[in-house]
Amino acid sequence: MAASITNRATGVALYGGTILLAAWFFAAALGPDAYAPVGAIVGSWFGRIVLFGFAWALIFHTLNGLRHLYWDTGRGLAPKTASMTAWATYAASFILTLIVVLAANGAAS
Amino acid sequence: MSHKGTSTFIAMRASSVLLLPLVVWFIWSVTAHAGASAAETRVWLSSPVTAVLFALLIAVSAYHMRIGLNEVIDDYIYSSARGVLKALNALAAILVAGLGFYSAYLLAFAG
Repeated sequence: MAASITNRATGVALYGGTILLAAWFFAAALGPDAYAPVGAIVGSWFGRIVLFGFAWALIFHTLNGLRHLYWDTGRGLAPKTASMTAWATYAASFILTLIVVLAANGAAS
Repeated sequence: MSHKGTSTFIAMRASSVLLLPLVVWFIWSVTAHAGASAAETRVWLSSPVTAVLFALLIAVSAYHMRIGLNEVIDDYIYSSARGVLKALNALAAILVAGLGFYSAYLLAFAG
């Protein structure tokens, strides 16, 4: 049950994230003068917190999307199974986000 | 979206399947370039493959999120604002997708 509303909440958050991604991509396309302030925000603590949230929302929504595609085959729908895969989705989303953060820090240093 | 349930259902699933490899590539690519300077970022994004994949990710995401937000609007909005919100949703999706393609063109093909 909880995964359903989280899927919707992360979906709405990713709507905003995709707009930001397109804006960042456009700033990069316009050139160094346009990119400078955007790059500074992305590199700031605020930017990093937004990126962290974006990463988790994207990972959760993608993993839960896989769950939905599996359901569409008519499998995994028993309440007990669905509840188990929901918790597995939460756990995997946190672990994968942690791995992404560590890998990004490793690449940045 | 009345009388369009089946095509909406298929469009949501098809865009989900398309997004799977794009999202995996996106997370990998962005993570690998974390901490890159502005100049390095530009070199990375100016490669035709990267630029096109970014444009595709943004466009398919725009298509997918338009359907998703329409569903949210249908579930929570019962007033006459519903139509206006759905029109704004469509406009936002088109603008985002267009911005992605235009940016990819500027980065990789206009120089």
